[in-house]
Amino acid sequence: MRTVWNIAKREFTSNFLSPLAYVVICLSLVLLGIFFFMVWGGGFWQADRATMAQMFQWMPRGLAFVVVPVVTMRLLAEEKRSGTLEMLITLPVKDHEVILGKFLGAWGLVLVLIAATALFPIFMFWWPWNLGALDWRTVGSGYLGLVLFSAAAVSIGLLLSALTESQVIAFFLTWATLLVFTFWGLAADTFSNQVMRDVAAYVSFDARLAPFARGMINTRDLVFFVSICFGCLMTSFWALERRKWA
Amino acid sequence: MIEASSLSKRYGAFRALDKVSFEVHRGEVVGFLGPNGAGKSTTMRILTCFISATGGTARVHGHDVFDEPLEVRKKIGYLPQRASLYGEMSVWEYLSFVADMRGLDRSVFKKRMRDIVEVCGINQVLGKDIRTLSHGYRQRVGLGQALVHNPPILILDEPTSDLDPNEKAEVIRYIKEIGKERTILLSTHNLSEVEAACPRAIIVSKGRVVADGPLDEIRTKSGRVRYVVTIDEKRTFDRDGTYRKGASKTAPTAQEVQDALAQLSGVSHFKELPTDDRAHSFEFAGSPGSDVRHEIFQLCVQKGWYLLELRREARSLEDVFKSLTKGDERLDRGRRVEIEPDDEVAASEDEDEEADEDADEGDADEGDENESDEGDEGDADEGDADEEASEKDEKPSGKKA
Ligand SMILES: Nc1ncnc2c1ncn2[C@@H]1O[C@H](COP(=O)(O)OP(=O)(O)O)[C@@H](O)[C@H]1O
Ligand SMILES: [Mg+2]
Repeated sequence: MRTVWNIAKREFTSNFLSPLAYVVICLSLVLLGIFFFMVWGGGFWQADRATMAQMFQWMPRGLAFVVVPVVTMRLLAEEKRSGTLEMLITLPVKDHEVILGKFLGAWGLVLVLIAATALFPIFMFWWPWNLGALDWRTVGSGYLGLVLFSAAAVSIGLLLSALTESQVIAFFLTWATLLVFTFWGLAADTFSNQVMRDVAAYVSFDARLAPFARGMINTRDLVFFVSICFGCLMTSFWALERRKWA
Repeated sequence: MIEASSLSKRYGAFRALDKVSFEVHRGEVVGFLGPNGAGKSTTMRILTCFISATGGTARVHGHDVFDEPLEVRKKIGYLPQRASLYGEMSVWEYLSFVADMRGLDRSVFKKRMRDIVEVCGINQVLGKDIRTLSHGYRQRVGLGQALVHNPPILILDEPTSDLDPNEKAEVIRYIKEIGKERTILLSTHNLSEVEAACPRAIIVSKGRVVADGPLDEIRTKSGRVRYVVTIDEKRTFDRDGTYRKGASKTAPTAQEVQDALAQLSGVSHFKELPTDDRAHSFEFAGSPGSDVRHEIFQLCVQKGWYLLELRREARSLEDVFKSLTKGDERLDRGRRVEIEPDDEVAASEDEDEEADEDADEGDADEGDENESDEGDEGDADEGDADEEASEKDEKPSGKKA
């Protein structure tokens, strides 16, 4: 456990040793703010109901297409290329601890970003602007959805980073995979085959996240994200072990 | 401390290690020598449990590398080839990360650091980011990283490659310092380093151990001494002592000189050394028991040649290394399992060089031709290597027959 924690801590803080983390965090917050106040501006401020639903619809996309690929691309790909992985693994660590530590370090950074976005609802509906009574339970479940979704997305990024030695490839693979998984649901409607449609709807991130944003927490959705996360971590572990027998 | 027994490693169809066995005892500093691609790093990666062997076993400090990787790694300080460190961290941050990973207490770490800073000479760079350091300093930090937990065993993979000569000497000095109370396995393809730091060497070539023992033993293993003879090409003298200058009919040709020298007993492997056009210079091997310098002098007097240089020296480690790993690079390029039968023949030929020579002496020229024919059908490169070897042997043995 100590080693997992050490790896996670190093991974997390190393983000802040380069400008990357700051750029990603600031950029996403600014983008989110712009979306909030400009793009949907009129609609949002004049809405009768105080709601964060739109934010919960757009944030996963921001995470999937900007934040997660950037944060996860380095995780293993860059370490394999530069050779630092050999140094890390020949310390007394088990391979699964490396995977877990890397995952937690990267997920931690994404969680910090998610937590930072909570400033928007807090500023608007509580202090200083108190624009009305917000259903905090819905916000809570929406955030739970984001947390779960980010865990799944980071684990996908980690896995793809474990499969290649190029962070550029890792970035685009992650980006493309998350794109497919996110918009799969929209494409599903065009399928004529009913089975295909069900499958597509079943694995769509958008469709899975929608209930959370409405305040509904289904066990099925929980299990969905957790099992993606678990599966990807297991596969990453296998990908890391593979070097032994290459 | 380190026992490897018949370690094998295949990368797909490619055999990187072939039954490598050796032992390193407590307190020894052993040079692990071999040309690039010989399998040094592969062996070290197996010993540090980074990769698994395809066959064979290895124990480090009594722990099996396959069954107890964590125990093994705890006992080892490892410096991988091209020591790659996290560039964005400062030296101090990096070393304390390693210490945390190894479960060292802060106070213990601080105490260890005092030693390490001194031994590795990294005092001035402790606060600097690793990516800003020169290669030599990175290597020192890599050494420091390997020493943090005061390990009984150090495995260093080419710690001096890519360093400039000054840095090399420094790192070797540090290693000698460190090696006073530790077991060290040090890989390199640079022989002078081994001579400077290691009393014992293991030489690997094409994934096999080709020599293992104290340096002196390896040096004498080939059992030859080297002579260098240089003779004036323009001038000769009369028996009565008067000089004859440029008299073409008596000035020796290179062939004459070589033929004459080849008459001496126990000499072989003639090689003409490059000179300006005033002298013929030859290098050749002689048997270690005899000394033919007297005969060479007599020969020169008899022929009226001016002897400009005569040198006899025990074979240098470099020569031994070259002959033990001969042809390795060229063979290595195309080495695949498909041509392995040929490969094995070539390898054993290398090892039994002397036996071959004896055989050559018997059946002079015909035997040589046959040999190179055989080589052709397998691998062109190998054929070359054989031909070269037989050319060298050809002249002396041919004369004798
Ligand atoms: N991951 C790998 N996949 C395929 N071949 C490899 C791999 N690693 C090393 N090799 C091959 O194994 C041989 C031995 O490599 P290595 O142990 O690195 O040699 P050395 O360190 O002695 O220079 C080389 O020919 C190299 O090309
Ligand atoms: Mg190497």
